[in-house]
Amino acid sequence: MDESVEHLRDEILERIGRCASESEVEQLRVDALGRKGQLTQLLRGLKELPAEDRPKVGEQLNQFRRLAEERIEQRLVSLKAEARARMLSGEKVDITLPGSRWERGRIHPLTLAMDEIIDIFLGMGFEVARGPDIEDDYHNFEALNMPKDHPARDMQDTFFVSQNRVLRTHTSPVQIRTMERRKPPLQVIAPGAVYRHDDDATHSPMFHQVEGFMVDRRITFADLKGVLTHFLRQVFREDAGVRFRPSFFPFTEPSAEVDIACVICGGKSSTSNQSSCRVCKGSGWLEILGAGMIDPEVFRFVGYDPEKVSGFAFGMGVERIAMLKFGIEDIRMFFQNDLRFLRQFR
Amino acid sequence: MKLTLNWLKEFVAFSGSPQQMAELLTMAGLEVESLAPVSSPEDQQDDWALEVAVTPNRGDCLSIQGLAREVAALRGAKLKAKATASPFAAARAEAPVKVEIRSPRCCRRYSAAVLDSVQVGASPAWMRFRLETCGIRSINNVVDVTNYVMLETGQPLHAFDLDRLGAKRIVVRQAAEIGKFVTLDEVERELAPEDLLICDGDVPVALAGIMGGRDSEVHAGTPALLLESAHFEPLTIRRTAKRLALHSEASHRFERGVDAEGTIYALDRAASLLAQVAGARPAGRVVDRYPRRAKAASILLRRQRAQDILGVELSAGEIEKILKSLGCKVQRRGKGAFQVAPPSARGDLSREADLIEEIARLRGYDKIPPTLPVARLHGERADARLRGERAMRSYLAGEGLTETIHLPFSSAELNRRFYGFHRDGAAAVAVLNPLVQESAEMRLSLLPGLIEDFKLNLAQRVKGFAGYALGKVFSLSPEGEPRERQQLAALVYGKRERTGLRVEPAPYSFLTAKGLVEGILEQVGIGERVAWTNSAVPAFLHPGQSACLELDQRTVGYVGEIHPDLSEGLSLPRYGVLELDFEGLVQYPPSQITVRSLPRFPSVERDMAVVVDESFQARRIIDWIKSLGHSLIENVEVFDHYRGANIPAGKKSLAYTISYRAEDRTLTDGEVQALHQELLSQMSGLFDAQLRG
Ligand SMILES: [Zn+2]
Repeated sequence: MDESVEHLRDEILERIGRCASESEVEQLRVDALGRKGQLTQLLRGLKELPAEDRPKVGEQLNQFRRLAEERIEQRLVSLKAEARARMLSGEKVDITLPGSRWERGRIHPLTLAMDEIIDIFLGMGFEVARGPDIEDDYHNFEALNMPKDHPARDMQDTFFVSQNRVLRTHTSPVQIRTMERRKPPLQVIAPGAVYRHDDDATHSPMFHQVEGFMVDRRITFADLKGVLTHFLRQVFREDAGVRFRPSFFPFTEPSAEVDIACVICGGKSSTSNQSSCRVCKGSGWLEILGAGMIDPEVFRFVGYDPEKVSGFAFGMGVERIAMLKFGIEDIRMFFQNDLRFLRQFR
Repeated sequence: MKLTLNWLKEFVAFSGSPQQMAELLTMAGLEVESLAPVSSPEDQQDDWALEVAVTPNRGDCLSIQGLAREVAALRGAKLKAKATASPFAAARAEAPVKVEIRSPRCCRRYSAAVLDSVQVGASPAWMRFRLETCGIRSINNVVDVTNYVMLETGQPLHAFDLDRLGAKRIVVRQAAEIGKFVTLDEVERELAPEDLLICDGDVPVALAGIMGGRDSEVHAGTPALLLESAHFEPLTIRRTAKRLALHSEASHRFERGVDAEGTIYALDRAASLLAQVAGARPAGRVVDRYPRRAKAASILLRRQRAQDILGVELSAGEIEKILKSLGCKVQRRGKGAFQVAPPSARGDLSREADLIEEIARLRGYDKIPPTLPVARLHGERADARLRGERAMRSYLAGEGLTETIHLPFSSAELNRRFYGFHRDGAAAVAVLNPLVQESAEMRLSLLPGLIEDFKLNLAQRVKGFAGYALGKVFSLSPEGEPRERQQLAALVYGKRERTGLRVEPAPYSFLTAKGLVEGILEQVGIGERVAWTNSAVPAFLHPGQSACLELDQRTVGYVGEIHPDLSEGLSLPRYGVLELDFEGLVQYPPSQITVRSLPRFPSVERDMAVVVDESFQARRIIDWIKSLGHSLIENVEVFDHYRGANIPAGKKSLAYTISYRAEDRTLTDGEVQALHQELLSQMSGLFDAQLRG
């Protein structure tokens, strides 16, 4: 090969390697391969060579051209990669900085607890019913087998808004109102606010209950136990201890108080020493529900034949369940709406 | 009911631990609320004190012997009887008193005995210890014995000083014209005509079944006693005790039912104890007037019915055994039925259902295995209101608002100031017996509760506050009927909180509050049906920064800043509120969603800005352009509102963006330009609006 050609090739290849930017590479491409470039000049000079040399030198020059083009492309690729790598490393963030977002509002813990309770019963095929907060004496007491002057009325200190109207002391009147309107089969829950003339760390003049009842042919006390055990194990733990013990409500018979094994000490303090657990006061059990088979008298008030249908009813305090689930000690926290408290719920 | 374990064990054998006794009673429906060791330093007694919560139906368990009967039934144990020789057995003479029951409907039985040679003094230590452990203060040996026997038998007794009964003629009657009576606590009581009195001749000496009188009380020198052991009707006692707010151990028992068959036994027991501790001797026979003997209940119990209610198999033998353990007389009636006569002490057992409960209770609730009933599919979707509330809460949480819950009470003053939708001054519902005067009415609006929260949180130096409440408000209809309605209210103040590096978001304003309302309406699905007006906003809002919402000619909401007079009055910064008649909004079915096909050709946007008078409402231009119904004008929106530099005083600048689109082709620049120019020139003429460059 002509020495000048070889020299030019080496020089161009070396210059490609030295290019520090894409524009330098492009400039070089023009200088070497462009219309007036050095290589183009050489190719143009071919016709001045002897005819027999032309094919060989031509082939050499073309090889040289292909090689230069290839190197230029390679150089461009690597320069792009270097530039991207520099850009990326220059844009590195501190991933420990806080994410930026709007603060979401919170749903009140009582609503959270209420929703959980409602959903479990909806899943079991119950419907939701509602009733007024201001109730008449008949629905709040009378039809629930609590005639005037019945000692059971003392169990519920009552707010009066007139001679005959009260702030409902429980959600049980919704039972009566629903049965007055409809015929069995019924499986209904009634969530809502209730009121008692009471105010301290464990009692609020207003709190929330979920009442529930199921009426059909041959609904039994065993069914009551099955439904409530299933419910409590969903709200608390799948293996939670549940016990039913006799109690008294004027509108159910038999009546039961339903306890779960203490969620704090796991029921252990009943077997060991007294007074070890603050929440269950050492009994190992927590009262969580009142329940029973609907009293035949109640069926008579709503015009059902107690010989043909039977049913159970239950009621629970939502605050109590929320307090146990979330470890809240003072019921008044629910109604102060301190954001430092409410923000703890998701 | 407080008792001691040793006392109980005098009547029933029990070899278990105190904890086992507590467990046994609790699981039988007699919840033991406390159990603690007690000891008497005076005579080295060690014992356990139990406190049992006795439900109102179990008056029979307000006594040691009643509880002993329960333990015996539960454990199949034998009752231990006290020696039963009556101290009055040897008495031959008539007692020196007469007894007359004039109100047999209120007093079923009145038994009385006279004792003399009484030496009133202190009770022995063992008796004082037991009484005091059971929560009864020791007075003297006579009064203490009456209390001791009441705790033991459940029969309240009263001792009169015989010398102070001048007529020695007991008359049980209603107060009628006797208007006043001084009880032994030295309080003069106003009597109602139907109150039952024990009189000595014409002189009242006791408020029957509740409390004795001051003037016939036993005192240190009393030599002779009249002991009363009577049965009074629960309702009679309850009405009087309740009206006078006078509750005693005696009235508590009479209200819950005492066994009328037990009066004589209680007199015998008291007389033998008084002989022992006060040297008393019977003076004559017991006087017993029993005009109205209760018919023993006789109840038909069907085995099938019991099985149907309880959901377990029960053998006839098991049923019989349980009922007999309670002292019932049981006779079989053919196949699968029983005729049952409960003992006289169990006045609560009168129906088949009561017996079925006893079978479950004695058998043990834990012996009834849980089953799951077959649920019927009713095919109804979860309650629509519930779904609406949940969607609303979720929307509001996303907008940064936190849910709050308040007691629904308010004061008359707050109701007058924040009257919600009751601009007509509708009456609030008054609470007749409020806990405090500040909560003497039911709220007319949810705002006062939210304002209270705002104050509380402001004290924690929050930079912003956004809370809402979804709850009921209460009012009286013109006819005086209480009404309740579910409303949604919110309070917004300051800057919405962000997490992350500090950026300053714009504070809440009228427009952000209005935006919330629009979002709520969109959520409910009735945005298009509602009209905004500022013609009659409530007085508690800033008149220039507030608006009302109307739906079918009814006000269903308001939004705006609280009137600065009110926020300053409460030393609060300025803040915005909204309140909506949630119940009124969700009663409409949400508008049907019908999807339009997506446009195939691009739209072209053109902006325009006009200078108009301050009072010009931005909406007018939009309404006008829409009213043209031009097929190529797709939409028009206002995007800027500006006062200040370059705009003359009394004027403002409004900027709109109009989007043009054809359904069947791409519009050319020239076409759009021509349309836009035409629109601008028409508009400036029509509205006296000056186009801005
Ligand atoms: Zn515990």
